[in-house]
Amino acid sequence: MANLTIDGQVVGFEPGQTIMEAATAAGIYIPHLCHKPGYTPHGSCKLCSVKVNGRVCSACTFPAADGQQVISQSAELQQDRRHITQLLFVEGNHFCPSCEKTGQCQLQAVAYELKMHDNHFPQFYPQRALDASHPDIVLDHNRCIFCNLCVRASREKDGKNVFGISGRGIHKHLIVNSESGLLKDTQLTVDDAAAHVCPTGAILIRNTAYHVPIGQRLFDHQPISEVSLEHDHGQ
Amino acid sequence: MGGPSGTFITVEESHRLLAYEDLATGGSFIVFNNSRSIFQIVKNFTDFFAHESCGFCTPCRVGTSLLQKQLDKIVLGHGSAGDVVELERIAGLLRQYSHCGLGQTAANPVLTTLERYPELYQQQLKKISYEPGFDLDAALQVARQMAGRNDAAAHLQQVEE
Ligand code: SF4
Ligand code: SF4
Repeated sequence: MANLTIDGQVVGFEPGQTIMEAATAAGIYIPHLCHKPGYTPHGSCKLCSVKVNGRVCSACTFPAADGQQVISQSAELQQDRRHITQLLFVEGNHFCPSCEKTGQCQLQAVAYELKMHDNHFPQFYPQRALDASHPDIVLDHNRCIFCNLCVRASREKDGKNVFGISGRGIHKHLIVNSESGLLKDTQLTVDDAAAHVCPTGAILIRNTAYHVPIGQRLFDHQPISEVSLEHDHGQ
Repeated sequence: MGGPSGTFITVEESHRLLAYEDLATGGSFIVFNNSRSIFQIVKNFTDFFAHESCGFCTPCRVGTSLLQKQLDKIVLGHGSAGDVVELERIAGLLRQYSHCGLGQTAANPVLTTLERYPELYQQQLKKISYEPGFDLDAALQVARQMAGRNDAAAHLQQVEE
């Protein structure tokens, strides 16, 4: 088995694995949002940025190689990951106390993990729509971070292609592939992977909002670093 | 040198070489005479990158637009003590973490002029410790118009004296 080191710890890996996969298998958490085991890596959120032999790379897409020296937990990387998370917060509209997803939200949990105490950067306050047309599923564009997971889930798991990404730069946005552009006119159902994959509160299942009370939610008692390793190991 | 994503050099550096080892360029260089405003040039280039960003990755998608905002704040005279540091912070995120060369070089106009004309940026800052990113009094203009008022009490100071 070939080996690399992550923050000095020797980690074995199988040929073909990414640095993220090798780290997860070894019980090392690297922050991420657009990555999910079992899905084609995307490498867009940049939270999993690590230094490989001195160069910045995305751990979720970069292939593991023998003898690689990977730095993940340095003070500099943690601070910059915190800033990248803040960028995600200021470009959208995230008001956690009034969000159904609070406590189960990966964006929020990553922010806690990285000790993010404020948004730091000026808010963009974009005007984004709420699509409440579907009987079972709500799409709130205000909370979308463009992780592309719903797009991949719909295409790769559900075979449907319900979602897409459109627009450029700060005007990038999620679109729904139907004539009207509304969810109600798609084949999306509550059983679809795409309906459940969203790491934030952008895609919500109706009538489930407070089934798990605040205080008993996924990240209320366990940091995302632990939850993520437990979940990702299982897959 | 090398277009918007290249290096800004001053007259004092005219001895430098066009070469991979020194000033690399894809063949483009632009000469500005002293009638040009450096801020205006930097702003044009920075606006260009915010417009050109494809939006794929977080640092470039948000960073190019934030850099544009932050530069405008300083150029328009609303910057204060920490604002150049902030400008450098955003530039650093862009350069280090962007997915492709566009984002990695988008802050070069800011960074290479900041390196050569630090006093120009500092002169543009107000002599107070903090200045918000928006003009409080200007934001009240619509309200004043609707209320038909323009007396002293209808104006707000940006910062308590
Ligand atoms: S999606 Fe997450 S980060 Fe955004 S408002 Fe909801 S809980 Fe907060
Ligand atoms: S809706 Fe959710 S899953 Fe889809 S791109 Fe936005 S944040 Fe990602």
